[in-house]
Amino acid sequence: MNNSAPILIFFTSIVILLAILTALRAELTRGRGGKILAFVTLAVLPSLAVWAGAHEQLERSTSTKFCLSCHVMHDFGQSLYLDDKAYIPAVHFQNAFVPRDHACFTCHTDYTMFGDYRAKWRGLHHVWVQYLGKIPQPADIKLYTPYNNRECLHCHGGARKYEEASSHHKNPDMLAQAASNKLSCLSADCHDTVHDVANLKDNTFWKGPN
Amino acid sequence: MATPIERRIRWSGLIIALGLVIQTCTLFWTHPLAFMAFLLIGCPVVAAGLLFYLYSLVSRHPAGTEAD
Repeated sequence: MNNSAPILIFFTSIVILLAILTALRAELTRGRGGKILAFVTLAVLPSLAVWAGAHEQLERSTSTKFCLSCHVMHDFGQSLYLDDKAYIPAVHFQNAFVPRDHACFTCHTDYTMFGDYRAKWRGLHHVWVQYLGKIPQPADIKLYTPYNNRECLHCHGGARKYEEASSHHKNPDMLAQAASNKLSCLSADCHDTVHDVANLKDNTFWKGPN
Repeated sequence: MATPIERRIRWSGLIIALGLVIQTCTLFWTHPLAFMAFLLIGCPVVAAGLLFYLYSLVSRHPAGTEAD
């Protein structure tokens, strides 16, 4: 629960109370003032409460806790704590290159106009599979489409460390190829070790921030 | 004696309150099921109550049943 949740719960409780009072004293709507009051308590305030609730729920659905609440994602959460710099997600998580409380969403959303909503739509499918479908083994979970460099370059693009790294100049147009998605950042011999949940058991883990 | 519009307002108020109670319950739990309950139960119930209220405003009543 984040900081705004208690305020939202309080506000929604007030709206519930007003809606019930309006329902119990419906005869008040015979007068003009009562009609206006009923419109506020039964239309305006509930709409506001739903809008605020939807915003809160969407915000929560981007949290690491939310993503890892399904058992099948446990190993992916564990991979963030791998004590091995070769693992890209672990390096990003442990060094706070991504916000730790939104780690999954930061890398697994499309940075496009409707990327957040596309991610939510896929999330609905995941919930369906979790409760009504056949749950795959963690190691069998794959991305829908090859990982788009756009998601890496959203942060790294234009960064000096990224542009001046010698490994990014093995050939003259490497950066241009990465920018146009012709060469994946996750290519073999580049940043090719990602979650690799099939091999977690043989590793040591970071204990987390103090 | 409640008029038809008052009865509808009463029902719509109770339906909206029920939907908002469901929504409030989902706010105590950060989990995909809470998200689904909000989206698939709470929102439709509130929307139904709201639409029923709006319908009560525009619906016609037999002469003599309206109080004012």
